[in-house]
Amino acid sequence: MRTVIPDELKIQLRYPARAVGLVGAVAMIISVFLPWSYGHGALDDVGFSGSPSPLQLVFLTLPVLVVVLLGVPLVGKAKLGRWAKTVAWNTTAKTTAIASLGAVVVAMAAIAIELGGLVNIEVGGWVAVAGAVLSAVATIFLPDSPEPTLSRVKTARWVQILAIVLVLAVVLFSAAYALGMSDAGAFLVFAAILTGLVLALRQFGVFGWLGNASANNNRVLVVSAFAVAFAFPFTQNGSNANMSIASQVLIFAATALGLNIVVGLVGLLDLGYIAFLGAGAFTAAILSESAFSTVNFHPPFIVTVLISGTVASILGLIIGAPTLRVSGDYLAIVTLAFGEIFRITMNNLDGTDGPNVTNGSDGIPGIPDLNFFGFDFAQPHVIAGIEIGRFANYYWLMLVVIALIIVVFTNMNHSRIGRGWVAIREDELAAEAMGVNTFTLKLLAFAGGAFLAGVAGSVKAHYDVSVTPDQYVFLESAFLLAAVVLGGMGTVGGVLIGATILKLLPEKLRFFSDYRLLLFGLLMILMMRFRPEGIVADERRQLEFHDEDEELADEIEEELIAHHGHLNPERKGFEL
Amino acid sequence: MTASVDARVAPSREVLLDARNVIMQFGGLRAVNDVSLQVHTGEIVGLIGPNGAGKTTFFNCLTGLYQPTSGSVEFSGQPLPPKPRLAVRAGMARTFQNIRLFHNMTAIENVMVGMYSRTKTNAIDAIFRLPRHRREEAASTERAKELLDFVGLTGSGDTLSRNLPYGDQRRLEIARALATDPKLLLLDEPTAGMNPQETRQAEELIFRIRDSGLAVLVIEHDMRFIFNLCDRVACLVRGAVLVEGPPAVVQNDPRVIEAYIGMPATESTTPNWQQPGDNPGEGVEDA
Amino acid sequence: MVELFFQQLINGLSLGALYALIAVGYTVVYGIVQLINFAHGEIFMIGAFGAFVTWMLLGRPTDWSVATSLLVLLPLMIIGGMVASVATAVATERFAYRPLRNAPRLAPLISAIGVSVFLQEFVRLFFGTIPFVGRIPGWPDAKSAVPFPSIPGISGQTIQLGGVLIQMPAIFTLGALAVSTVFLWYFVNRTKTGRAMVATSQDPDTARLMGINVDRVIVAAFAVGAALAAVAGVAHGLRYGNIDFRMGFLAGLKAFTAAVLGGIGNINGAVVGGLVLGLAEAMATTFIPGQFGSSAWKDVWAFVLLILVLVFRPQGLLGAKVVDRA
Repeated sequence: MRTVIPDELKIQLRYPARAVGLVGAVAMIISVFLPWSYGHGALDDVGFSGSPSPLQLVFLTLPVLVVVLLGVPLVGKAKLGRWAKTVAWNTTAKTTAIASLGAVVVAMAAIAIELGGLVNIEVGGWVAVAGAVLSAVATIFLPDSPEPTLSRVKTARWVQILAIVLVLAVVLFSAAYALGMSDAGAFLVFAAILTGLVLALRQFGVFGWLGNASANNNRVLVVSAFAVAFAFPFTQNGSNANMSIASQVLIFAATALGLNIVVGLVGLLDLGYIAFLGAGAFTAAILSESAFSTVNFHPPFIVTVLISGTVASILGLIIGAPTLRVSGDYLAIVTLAFGEIFRITMNNLDGTDGPNVTNGSDGIPGIPDLNFFGFDFAQPHVIAGIEIGRFANYYWLMLVVIALIIVVFTNMNHSRIGRGWVAIREDELAAEAMGVNTFTLKLLAFAGGAFLAGVAGSVKAHYDVSVTPDQYVFLESAFLLAAVVLGGMGTVGGVLIGATILKLLPEKLRFFSDYRLLLFGLLMILMMRFRPEGIVADERRQLEFHDEDEELADEIEEELIAHHGHLNPERKGFEL
Repeated sequence: MTASVDARVAPSREVLLDARNVIMQFGGLRAVNDVSLQVHTGEIVGLIGPNGAGKTTFFNCLTGLYQPTSGSVEFSGQPLPPKPRLAVRAGMARTFQNIRLFHNMTAIENVMVGMYSRTKTNAIDAIFRLPRHRREEAASTERAKELLDFVGLTGSGDTLSRNLPYGDQRRLEIARALATDPKLLLLDEPTAGMNPQETRQAEELIFRIRDSGLAVLVIEHDMRFIFNLCDRVACLVRGAVLVEGPPAVVQNDPRVIEAYIGMPATESTTPNWQQPGDNPGEGVEDA
Repeated sequence: MVELFFQQLINGLSLGALYALIAVGYTVVYGIVQLINFAHGEIFMIGAFGAFVTWMLLGRPTDWSVATSLLVLLPLMIIGGMVASVATAVATERFAYRPLRNAPRLAPLISAIGVSVFLQEFVRLFFGTIPFVGRIPGWPDAKSAVPFPSIPGISGQTIQLGGVLIQMPAIFTLGALAVSTVFLWYFVNRTKTGRAMVATSQDPDTARLMGINVDRVIVAAFAVGAALAAVAGVAHGLRYGNIDFRMGFLAGLKAFTAAVLGGIGNINGAVVGGLVLGLAEAMATTFIPGQFGSSAWKDVWAFVLLILVLVFRPQGLLGAKVVDRA
C-alpha cells in the first residue's frame, strides 16, 4: 500500500510513528480485557470485564501481531537471522493495523445494530476503537518496505512440514469455530479478522514461502489436508446442522472441481454444467429403491455411480461433439441452451407431455439412504465417544469423491493431456499447429468433466432424498462458475476456497439471504474487473522454485540484494 | 529445378517438400498464384518478397492451415494431410510471424506441448500414473531440456514464456517446433524485431538445425540474413515466384531489386546486400 | 387445417417479431465488439419496467380514450421504457464491459452473467422502493409478476380475418418491428453514427485511424439495441398482460438464438432469424404429432434449432461477419 505522504517525511517520522502505533496496539490489547458492550446480547457476549470472549481472543491476534511487527525492528531484527531481512515489516504492520481497525469497526457496528444504538458500546469498545485508529494512522507514516523475498529463503524440511501442519490446524480450528457461530455479527467480525490476518501474512511474504514449502512437500500437504478434513466431524460434537452445511459445501466443491477442468484448464465456458450434475442425480434416483422410481432395475450403489457418470458423460458427448467445433462464445450459449433443454425435458417426462421417467416437476422423492455392506448412512454411529450422524457419513463419502476428483484433476493436469488442454486455452490455433488434437482433447475434457459431475450427482440424489428438475436451473450453473472464477481458474485449492465461501457465507448470513444473488452478481463483475485470476492464482502463473533450482534462486537473490543496495540506497537506510 | 546449382547442395538429396502449382484464392483475391517450390533434405531454402507478396499465405498452405484452391503439396512423397496437426505428424513444424507461445505455461511446458503428437499417454495412463505415463514423462522432460539447451535457453525451463525476453521467445518457439520431431522446419520471419547480434545467433542456430539433419524453409525480410543463410532463395512477388535460385543469382537479379526498390537497378540504387561482409550489421532494413 | 396454419403463421410471426426486436441488440453489439451481451435480456426486462413506471407516473390512467391512449400514452410509455433501458445498457457498458475490452475473452462474458443476475435481483428487490427509506405507497413490488397496464384499443382487442383470429397486441408487435426496422435502416445507412458503426464493425483499428470515436460507436450500439429491446418490452407486456423480473432470461436466450439463426453480426439477419424462430416454435407446437408437439416442448425445439444451426450453418441464414482469428 503506497500513500501520498512523501518519503522524506516518513523517514523523519519513523520513530514517533512506531511509538504511537505501539501505544495504539497496546490499547487494543487492553481493551480485550474490558467489556466492549453493555449487556451480554451482542457478538456472542462481549460484555465481561477481565475474561475475554472467544471472539475477543481471536481478535487479540491482530494487535499482538502489530506489536511484534513494530517492536522487533526496534529491538533489532538482525538477531533473528537472515530471513528477517527478507520480509516486509513496515508494510505488514500497516496492513495489520488497518485490518484491526476494520475488524473493530465491524464489531462496533454489529454491537450497535444488535443492541440498538452506539450507546451500548462500553468503555472497552471505545478503547479498542481509539487504539485501532491510533495505530492505523500512525503506521501510515511508516516508510514502505521493499517487496518481501521470504519465498527465496531456504529452510529445513521439518520446519516446512511443521508450518504446513500448523496452517492446516488453524484452518480446521477456524472452520469449526466459524461453523459453530450462531451470531451473524460475530461471524462477520471473525471473517474480518481472518481476512486481515491473511492479508497481513501475504504482505509479510509468508504465502510465497508457504507456496514453495507446499510445493516441496506436496504429499505431506495433501495427506495432512485430508487428515484435517477427515477429522472435521469430530470437532462438531454430532451437530447435524453444521455437518449438513459441510456436506453441501463438499458436493458443491466436487462439482465445481469438475467444471474447473472444462473452464479452468481448457478455457471452455460451460454454462449448462448443472445439467450433468442433474443427469447423475436423476439417474441415481431412478435406479434407487425409491418407491417413485420408474424402472425396475436397482443395482448396488457402486454400479449406480458408474452408470450415472456414464450417462452424464454421454450427454456431454452428445452436446459437445457438434458444438465444440464452433467458437468459444457460441459454446457458452449452446451449453446454456442445453442446460435449459435438460431442465425442461426433466419437467416434461411426466407421463403427460412425454413418457413417464422423472414424474415431471414432482421429481423422485423418497430416495433411501445409502447402505454400504450393512453400513447404513441414515444411522448415527458413535466413534471415540462422539456421535457421527447421517450428514457426517455423507460428508466422508463426499470427501472420498473429492479426493478422487482431485487425483484425476492433478494427474491429468501434469500429463501430456493436461498440457494439451492448457495449450488450447492459451492459443488454440498454435496448439493445433503444434500437433495437438484439439477437438478430441476438448471432447475428452467435456465428457470427463461431465462424468465427474454425474458421480457427484449420484451422491447428491441420496443426500437430498428427493430429486426435482427445479434444483438444476441456470443459476446453479452460474454459481458453480462463480466458485471457479472466485477461487482461481485452473487451481484445486482456489476452487475449494471459492466453493466454501459461496456456500458458507449465505448459510451464516441468513439475514442477508435476500440480497445473496444481488451481491453475487456484483461480486462477479468486480472480480472480473479487479482480480480476474481469482483468490488463488494458477500455479502456472507463478515462478516456481524447486530443489534443483536452488542455485539459480541463490543467484537471483544475490542479484536482487545487490541491485537493491545499488539502486535504492536510501531504502536500506530507513527500513530499520 | 535449379537446386543443384549451388555447391552446398549435394545432388543426391531427395525431395522432401514438393509444392506444385499452388493457387490460393480468397474471394476475388488471388493471394498465391501458381507457385511451385521444392525443398530437399538437409537444405535451407529462403522465401523472400515484399510485404503482401503472399509468403505467409503460401506458408499456411504448406502447413495444412489453408487448403489450396488448386495445386498439390506433397511431403515425403505423400500428399500433405489437410490439417495442421496431421502435417505435424507427417514431420513438418512451424513457427509464427508474430510469436504465438502459450504465454501462461513455462518454457519447458511449451516445448513438451510440441511433443504431443509423438507421445502416447492416454487419460487412463495419466489418471493412474501407469508406467507408460511415467516413462514418457521422464523421457519428454529429458528431451525438452536437451532442446532448451540446444536453442540456448539453458536454465530458463521454469520461466513463464511470457516473461522471457523477446529474442528468447523466438528461440523457444523454435525449440517447441523442434520438439515435434520434424523433418522440415518452417520459420516465419525468425529474426523480426531482433538486433544484429540476436540475428547472428539465430543464423548460427539455424545452421545447427540444418546440420542435425533437418531441412529448413525460412521466410524473411532481412536480405543479408537470408543470403548468408540459404542454399537457395525464392523471391515471391504478388503471389507468384519471380526468381528462384542460389543466393548469388537471386540477389543480383534486377527484377528482385526492382520489386524491392521499385525501379530498375542502376549503380546508385544497387543496395548494399550485394557486398556481403563489407559492413556487418547493416542490412537492407537499415539502408 | 389451412385456417390453423394461418392462425399459427400469424402467432408465429408476432412472436418472432418480439424475438427480432431483442435480437437486434445482440447482433449490433456482437458485430462491433464480439461480445455476447448476456445481460441484454435484462435490458429488455428493464425496458418493460420503465414503461410500467412511466404509466405509474402518469397517474395510472385507465380511462383515456382510444385515440389519446394510442397517440399519447403508448408513445410516452415506449419512450419511458427506452430511457430506462438505454440508461442501463450504457451504464453496463461503461462499468462492466469497457474496462475488460483487452481482457481474455472469458472475462467479459462472465462479467455479463454477473450483470444479468445483478439487474434481475435489483429489480426484484428494489422496484417500488426508495433504498434506505422504504416502499413507495401504492406501488406494487416486483417479487412476483406485475400486471401490465391495458391500453385501450390494443389490450384484449382482436380482429377476425376469415377463420383467423388476430390479437391486437400481435399486430402492435409486428407494426413495431416494421417501424423499428425502417428506423434502424435509416440510422445505419443514412446517419453518421450509423455508418461509423458499420465501419467499426468491419475494422475497428482502421475506423479509429479514420477519426471515428470507437468508444462512442460502441455506446451507440448498446443504446440502439436497448431502445429496440424497450419496444419489445412494451410489446411483451401488452401480449402477455404482465411483466416480471425473470422475463429477460428466456426471451434473451431465444433472441440470441434468433440472432445466431440469422447470422450474428448481421442486422437484417436478426430480423429474419427472429421471424423464422417464432414461426418454427408456433409450427412445432401445432404440427409435431404426439406428446412432443405439446407446448411444453416448444422451448426445447427452439434450442434444438439453435444447436442445429450452429453445427450445420454457423454463419446463419444470411451469413455472419466472419472473424478470422488465424
